[in-house]
Parts: sequence; structure tokens; C-alpha cells
Amino acid sequence: MTVKQPMVEERKKRDSSFSLFFQKKNFYKIIGLLAIFVFFLLPVLRLVWLSFVDDGSLTLQYYTDVLREPATWNTVQNTLIIVAGSTVLALVLGVLFSWIVAYVRLSGKRAMQLFIFLPFIIPSYITTLAWTQFFSASGPVTAVLSWLPGELAAPNLYSIGGIILLLGISHYPLVYLFTVNVFRKIPRELEEAAATSGLSKKRAFRKVVLPLALPGIASGGLIAFLSNLDNFGIPAFLGTPANIRVLSTYIYEQVVGFGPSAFSRAAVLSVILGIIALAGTVLQWFLLRRSRVNETNRSDSTPRIHLSSGKQKLLEVSLWIFLLVTSLMPLITMGALSLISAYGVPFNLENLSLRNYEYVFLTDSKPLSALSNSLQLAFFTMLICLLLGTAMAYLRFKHPDWSTKAAELFMTIPFALPGTVFALCMIFMWLEPVPGWNPGIYGTVWILFIAYATRFLVLQVRGSYTAFLQIDPSMEEAARTSGAAGWVKWRRILLPLLFPGILSGALLVFLMALTELTVSSLLWSSGSETVGVVIFGYEQAGYSTYSTAFSTVLVLGILLGGGLFMLLSKLWDRKVLKNK
Amino acid sequence: MINVNNVTKKYGSFTALHSIDLEIGDGEFIAVLGPSGCGKTTLLKLLAGFMGPTEGTISMDDTVLASAKRVLPPEKRNIGMVFQSFALWPHMTVAEHVKFPLSYHPNKIKEGKKELQERIGEVLKLVGLAALAERYPSELSGGQKQRVALARAIAPLPNLLLMDEPLSALDVELRMEMRKEIQKLHRETQASIVFVTHDQGEALAIADKIVVMNQGRIEQIAPPEVLYTRPETEFVATFVGKCNLVKGHWQNTHFVPAIDSANTWPDLGVADSFKESGIYPVRPEQFQLAAAEKDGLQGVVSFVQYQGHEIHYTVEVGQETWTIHESVFASRFNIGDFVGISLKHVPIQKGSLVSN
Repeated sequence: MTVKQPMVEERKKRDSSFSLFFQKKNFYKIIGLLAIFVFFLLPVLRLVWLSFVDDGSLTLQYYTDVLREPATWNTVQNTLIIVAGSTVLALVLGVLFSWIVAYVRLSGKRAMQLFIFLPFIIPSYITTLAWTQFFSASGPVTAVLSWLPGELAAPNLYSIGGIILLLGISHYPLVYLFTVNVFRKIPRELEEAAATSGLSKKRAFRKVVLPLALPGIASGGLIAFLSNLDNFGIPAFLGTPANIRVLSTYIYEQVVGFGPSAFSRAAVLSVILGIIALAGTVLQWFLLRRSRVNETNRSDSTPRIHLSSGKQKLLEVSLWIFLLVTSLMPLITMGALSLISAYGVPFNLENLSLRNYEYVFLTDSKPLSALSNSLQLAFFTMLICLLLGTAMAYLRFKHPDWSTKAAELFMTIPFALPGTVFALCMIFMWLEPVPGWNPGIYGTVWILFIAYATRFLVLQVRGSYTAFLQIDPSMEEAARTSGAAGWVKWRRILLPLLFPGILSGALLVFLMALTELTVSSLLWSSGSETVGVVIFGYEQAGYSTYSTAFSTVLVLGILLGGGLFMLLSKLWDRKVLKNK
Repeated sequence: MINVNNVTKKYGSFTALHSIDLEIGDGEFIAVLGPSGCGKTTLLKLLAGFMGPTEGTISMDDTVLASAKRVLPPEKRNIGMVFQSFALWPHMTVAEHVKFPLSYHPNKIKEGKKELQERIGEVLKLVGLAALAERYPSELSGGQKQRVALARAIAPLPNLLLMDEPLSALDVELRMEMRKEIQKLHRETQASIVFVTHDQGEALAIADKIVVMNQGRIEQIAPPEVLYTRPETEFVATFVGKCNLVKGHWQNTHFVPAIDSANTWPDLGVADSFKESGIYPVRPEQFQLAAAEKDGLQGVVSFVQYQGHEIHYTVEVGQETWTIHESVFASRFNIGDFVGISLKHVPIQKGSLVSN
């Protein structure tokens, strides 16, 4: 008995240190959630708060003022028309493409997918620039139309129709992304069962396939809707010259207009924008209320519809023409027109020169410093998102409880908010983080960094989380029963397996930060210009040739980076993971 | 020696394990058998240390591995584990898989490089993979992957080897071959093995002792033949032996079926619990069929299934439905035939039950 006594005591000691550890764990949990609250949710609350406050007292004055102005209602009307039109366009294109790619036998599907995704990595304001060149007086569309008989003119992109077209074309890949796997996951037996029950192919599609695909279509539609609502570049580039305002550009005009109540008015408009976004989300929830998603179905990508070889060729050719015309041709036109010496002169050998490039990169100092700013911002944003986002994804993966779910939800808010609204939130939050104390973050490059990191962190969290989901938990368990823990486990087992997934998340963050325009356009200050801000500046000042030259270099850089990434992940897959 | 002491595991309000007690002797080969959701995987995860018990303790040779407050993590336990999905690391060769635990396991090779290489060679030879040392998992067949998983688990000579349905991902023939392979490894390494399975044939063939679990409780712990011939609970009788539970009452050493009191059956080794509840568990092959005019309980054949090595009859006897397996060499019956059913009078030798 005397021998056993010390052992018991020792065990007690250990127990107490362990209970302390558990207390510490809860302590860290609360600290972490608090930090996430401050960085991700509090800015939004302060924006809403500010729309109701005037000189420290609650008021509805700003709301009554703003809502009484006809300009507000005109803007809301434009916004609704444009968002509805572009969402329908994106839905039609996205669902059509995903259905064809998922079900119909075609050759070259992988290459097609690449072209569908091209608008993803090219920022929409550059796409817009390219399209305006495509339809310009010296562009190919005008040239083709002038050959044709009759007085045909290229359609005017600087109109509501133009904005709808560009938004739709920029965002249909989102719908595609959300629906293509949903189509593939619908078991073909269900269609066959419908056929043996006597339904024609058309009725089977309407009664079986469509209802099952609805969740994917609705989520894709919601994302397209939110992206259309949020987009700033396209309405700013196309709408501003034609005096067409939508909420995102109107908020921007309020803030840069610097009126006496600019921020409060912008806050009110932001709340209106937020309400529209919320209404869309509720509509999606309403549509999905009764549908059940079966996630366990295996995705089946072997074709289900075989066309005759002639029809298949015809379909392939028309799909390729559409893809090339909508994604590649405008970019090529932009590249070509960036080489002409002055805006509007015809495209021929005499007018070709590198003068625009010379101006952009040698004469004007802004583009190069903006490029360096954006590269640094993008790099450090990527780095911090890589660390924090992957850590968050691991916690979310290992402990899927309320706290990590709440944390992820908070992190989604800055990304889900329209960019102009989010930028405003950042100003209200970091101008005076604690009321009465201005640490001088606003007006420096730091506010851009904080804004980028908080806005794009969720992309890395999702990317890394997906990577974690894709490796079997037994991989880690096998490492642990083999005695590996901590850093060894990460270095030898987890990181090599996670690398491609984490890297694609990081690349997305890098690209988004590099070409960001909406948030930067409100948060930049002299000396902290970004790439998007400089191109936007050229465009506003009417220097289209300079903006096309700068954009062309950017597009080439992005394509090169994307290509390198694809090569690297393929090599990693083959050399390290030994997949064939 | 591993002791599982009064262990309860709860997930929220759901109790996966109810006060489990289990003793695993040195070098013992234990199969944990049960339907899915019975708690066998939870038990294995507790033994591995992937989670801790809600109540109770697990100890190995008098050191406490886990209690409700403190859990020794798997990397500090002297264990090896084979996973259902093999869990091979795609970026490592066969030799690297074996080398990994030899470098990090609590029993790692502390001597020089030469000893390490020797041990790798030894282990690969033991599982028959010496020629494939430089291959990657994607270049291996299912059986070879299984051997790599085994080699990695046994390489550091762990005290306890845990196997989570290791054969269920293999096809039938390979499964038979790997059963022998695992028995061979057990003989040569002398590690204690806990082998989780839902396949009763596998458990009966391979283990020294079988633990049958159901709904988070242990139903019976016994050597294979004892378990099969003398089940103690209804669950074990029906899950392991597919017994017919014949209702009736016991008169001294004889059983009187409720359907026909004219027949009595002698006690061929029925557990006391069944005697109390008035049930006689009869295995399908323990019955014998004869033409109806013979003695015995009278029944009607309702289904006949030809199985190759035997014939399975379903017979309606009064209100009860019995399954009876007969040899293909015995006389045949068709659907609708009246049959007489009797018990095969082969007394079970109480003393000499087979143990592996």
C-alpha cells in the first residue's frame, strides 16, 4: 500500500494539469472566435450601425433622404433589370454547357472546360476592356459587318444590354461549375427507369433530371446572382460613360464624391444592396426547401447521349465557335489593338508600334509601381491566407463542431458581401478601430492588405478543406500508429498529399488579390495604387490604348502563371503521388 | 497483457459502448465479431488511442493507456495497425513504408543504418515482398497492398496489433490466402492481435478467442468451437450459428418442443440461459430430414435452395419456420413434401473442443 500511494498522487497531478489543458483549450477557442468576430463580422455591424447614427444619436434621417431621391429608385431599378437579365443569361448558358458536357458524347471536353474557365482567371474589367475593343470601330466585328450588305453597326456595349451581356458571359462559368457535377451525379438508372416506365426522353428530362439537378442549378444561380450584384468593374467601365448607374457604382460615386454625409449615404445604399442580396438568398432557400441532395452518388462522366457523327461534329464546331468568340477573340483583339499608335486609327501595318507599351512601362511610373504593389500585396495575402486558412481548414476538418462552423461562416461574410459594401465596412472599421483612436491604417497600403486577407481567406479555407476531405483519414491514423506525430506527420505524410489542393487555393487567392479592383478602388491612396486602380484610372481618363497595353501584359502573365500551375500540379501528381 | 476495464463510450447522447470488460493476453489472437454499428470499430479506436473512453480505463502491462481524463496518443503506444482501406501513402515506396515506423515508432531502431536496412529486408521477406521493395502503391495489386500494410504494422514488433476488417477489401480467394498469411505472421511475431470483422467464417477460422458484440455490449467471449456449438445468448446463436430457436420447455435433461410434445430431445450442450428461457438452439445442419411416415416432428417443405455442397430447406413446422441444411448425398425433398424432422444424435465431446 505504501508503494502505491505516490503513484496515485502522481496521477492526480497529471489529471489536474490535463483539466487545465482543457480549460486552456476552451480559452483558445473563445479568443479565436473573438478575433474572428472582430475581423470579419464587426466591420459589417459597424456599417449597419453607421447608417442609423448621426452625431451620436439614432436617426432614420439618411434613410428617408436617400429613399426620397428619384436617383436612388432609378439606380435600384437599373440594378434589378441588369442583375435579373444577366443571371438569366448566365443560367441559360451555364446549364446548357454543363448539361452538354456532362451527358453528350463530344471529343475535346477537357480543352473545352479550360476555355469555359478562362473568364475565371481573367478579371472581368479586363474582359470588358477586351470586349469594347472587339466591338470598337477598329475591331473585327465592325469590319465583318461593313462587308455585309445593309447599314449594320456593331451593337453599343455602353448600354444596359451590353452590361447584361458582359455580366452573363463573365459569370456563366460559375453556374457551369455548380451544375456539371450535379448532372453527372444523377444516376443514369433513374433515366432508364423513367424510360421503362414509359416516359419519353423529353418528359424524363423534365420529370426526373431537372428536379434532381435543381439544387445545383439554384446554387449556381444564386452565386451568379450575387456576383452580378456585386460586380463593379463591368458597370463601371460600361455604365459610367453612358450614365447608367447600378448600386455598386452608385455607392462608389458617393464615397469618392466626399459629400458631407457621403459615408452615411453610402452606408444606407449598402444596406439596400445587402437586402437585395438577402432576398436572392431567401429565394434560393425557398426553391431548395423540399429538395434532398444525395451526396453519396458516384459521379458518372461517361456520355449518355450519342449523336450521329455529323450532328456531333456540328455541335462541337458551334460550341468551339462560341467559346473562342466569347473568351479568346476579345483578348486577342485587345492585344492587337494595344499595338496601334492611337485610338480609332485602322488596324494596319503602318499604324503598328510599341508606343503604348513604351508609355505604360517607361514614361509613366504608376503602372510599374502599381504592379509591384499588387504583386507584393498578392504575395503576402496569399502567404497569410495559406497559413491561417489551412490551419482553420484543419480545425474545421478535425473538430466539426459549432465553433468551427461559426468561424467559417464569419469568414464567408467578407467574401459574400458586395465589394463596394465590404470596402466601406473596412473604412468604418479601420479608420478608427476603437472609437476616438486612429492608428493610421486607412490611407496606407495596410488597409488594402487587411481587406484582401479578410476578403479572400475563405477561398483558402475552402480550398484546403477540400484537400483535407480528399485524403482518407486513415492516412493520418496510419502515420500516428507508426509513431509519427506533430511536424513529422505533417512533413512526411500530410503535406505531400495535400500540396496540390492547398496550392490551387493559394493560387486563387493570389490571382484574386493581384487583379482586385472593387475593394481597391475605394481603399487605395496615393502610393498604394494597385493594378486594377491604374487600369480603371486610364479608362476613366479616356486612355483606352494605355489600359489595353497594360491589360495585355497582365493577361499574358496570368495565362503564364496558370499554365505553370497546371504543369506543376501535374508533375506533382505524377512524380510525387505516382498517379498515372 | 491489455486490460479493458469497464469502458463506456458515448457520442453525445448515443452510447456506443456499454461498460465493456476485456482481457487480451500476451500473444493472444482475438477476433471481435459483430454486425455493423455494434461498437467493434469504436472499441478498436479506443485501443488505438484515436479517442478516449467516457468512463473506465484501458491499461497495458499495468500502465494506464487511457482513462476519461487522460489518453495516451497512438504515436506513444506500442501498437501497430492495419486499416480496412490499407491506408498506404501514395508517395512512398514499399521499403519506405516499412522504414517509416522503424524510424518513428516507440520501438524504433536506435542502432545504425545497417541494422535498419537489415530489419527492412527481414520484414519484406517475411511478407513476401522482397522483390517489390522499390514499387509504389499504385503499382501493386490488392493482395500486395495488403502485405505492405501488414509489413508496416509488424515492422517495429508492436505489443499489440490492431486490424480493422483488413480482408474486406479483397476478393474471396485472396481473402482465404491472406487468412493463412495473417496466422503465419501471428505465429512468427507472437504479438497480441485484435482483429475486427463482421464475417463469422473469418472469425471462426482465424482467432484463438472470439468476442461477439451487439449494440455496444459484449454478448459472449469464447474460443471458436465453444462459441459455435454452445452459444449463450439468442444473438450469438442466430448471428454465429444461424440457429433455429425452437420454443418449448426443459424437463430435467430433456427438451420438449412446444409444437409436438410427443418428441423429446436430449441435451447436447445447451447453455443454462436457454434452459431457463425454454429454448433449444438448433443449428441448421443439426437437423435431419426423413420421409413423413418416419418418427419425428412433422413439417412441410416451403423452399428449397441448392447450394452446391449442401441443400438448404425451409420447413414450416406448426407456427414456426426452420432452416435445415442437408448434405447433397442425403435423400431429396421437394416443395410441398411432408417431412419428419429429428435431431442428429451426435453427442458433443465436452472435453476436446478444437482451438486454433
